[in-house]
Amino acid sequence: MVFTPRIRRTAWLLIVLASSVAGFPQTNAQHARVELLARQKSVAAGSGVQLGVYFILEKGWHIYWINPGDSGQPPSFKWHLPAGFTAGEIQWPRPERMQPSKALTDYGYHDEALLPLTVRVPPSISNRMPVEFGVEVKWLICREVCIPERAELRLSLPVAATASADPQHAPLFAKTMKLVPQPLPRAWKASVTSSKDRFALTIRAGKPITEAEFFPLDPGQIDNPAPQNLQPSHTGATLILKKSDQLLKPITRLRGVLVIPGSPAYRIEAPVRQPLQ
Amino acid sequence: MKNPRRSILQACALLGLIASAFAVKVGDPAPGFTAVDSNGKQQRLSDYKGKFVVLEWHNQGCPYTKKHYESGNMQRLQKEWTAKGVVWLTVISSAPGTQGFVTPSQENDYLKTMNAAPTAVLMDPGGSLGHLYAAKTTPHMFIVDPNGTLIYNGAIDDHPTSDQGDIAGSKNYVSTALQQATGGKPVTEAATRPYGCSVKYKD
Repeated sequence: MVFTPRIRRTAWLLIVLASSVAGFPQTNAQHARVELLARQKSVAAGSGVQLGVYFILEKGWHIYWINPGDSGQPPSFKWHLPAGFTAGEIQWPRPERMQPSKALTDYGYHDEALLPLTVRVPPSISNRMPVEFGVEVKWLICREVCIPERAELRLSLPVAATASADPQHAPLFAKTMKLVPQPLPRAWKASVTSSKDRFALTIRAGKPITEAEFFPLDPGQIDNPAPQNLQPSHTGATLILKKSDQLLKPITRLRGVLVIPGSPAYRIEAPVRQPLQ
Repeated sequence: MKNPRRSILQACALLGLIASAFAVKVGDPAPGFTAVDSNGKQQRLSDYKGKFVVLEWHNQGCPYTKKHYESGNMQRLQKEWTAKGVVWLTVISSAPGTQGFVTPSQENDYLKTMNAAPTAVLMDPGGSLGHLYAAKTTPHMFIVDPNGTLIYNGAIDDHPTSDQGDIAGSKNYVSTALQQATGGKPVTEAATRPYGCSVKYKD
């Protein structure tokens, strides 16, 4: 399709207008396009609807995970939902490691990220009016420098007897859900031993693990840029994690995400055994 | 005559990268340093033995630093605590060509414009002082007690955002720690997660 400069100008103007007025599903912010998406085309009473805020980032720019690491700030969301609707937690896809300097490590997303959640729909809703979903999103976008941003996004979906998938967006949600950490397989076990300067995270998987990376969920527990030394065993592996200088008190559990190449990302919540006195 | 001890300290500051391998932990001695301030004067941590010293990592372009300067929050803290005899050292570790890098005269102009009142601003474009303390963010705050022990390492307050509107409802960790420590009490929250922009190190 060929656009004349005039059409292109008009299109651009519409985009600019759209981004400056509340009530649109997407906004063009600095170095990113941000959009409120639904996995379904319609909403059914008594079910759940999966929504997500989709960030398409300009090359080189990034946003942050729920634990941003040594610097940065995760996006935050304030949902505006009709009475009786309740928003669940954001299901954060596994992050990437980012290194703003050799002494600092952050956790976040490049290129694009869908941050999904499920909204519960009450058992009875009127089908005369479409359902209006709104969210106020605040986020920090960084390259060498950081820019705080905010947007109000809105989306309306019709009510139907049964909710059907939106063929345009469902594949993106499906792809993203594969990146959302899952519980460890039932037969696996994670445990942590604490010593003076480090945690040893042992994973028993019934098979050797030769490559793995741990992303801490709680800040200030492990030293983010420190190399994670993996010691494979015939039943799994032990990952050595250097303690953070900020950690002054013993912790009882270590929470985070374990990423093993070729596997889904796993949620870890491991009890911590304290050093023997 | 050249002071051999100072040379050793300077060498240590230059070798900050090696020093960063050591922990900067609350309860440990704060690492000694020599640095040049925005007036060209040498500043040594040991010069301030017997006083409380606050270290504030700074980048005037960072939205989190701006939150605390454009609201006047940081200047208020600087004035309140220096009036009570506390030494306040602002540190700039931005490398040349990165956000927050300033020449000494640009920094002095900024201090005047912002009505800021630190005891001195340490110019650390090579990042050695930043690496020596493992400073992560702007702002990142440290407090050293009169014996030279590190008693606080972390955030300025408990709202890790860049919104000025959040300051009023925040608990200021630095103020609380200074109140407790100057009152002879232990610091209850001595290590917190610093928040802000990454320090714009050379490496």
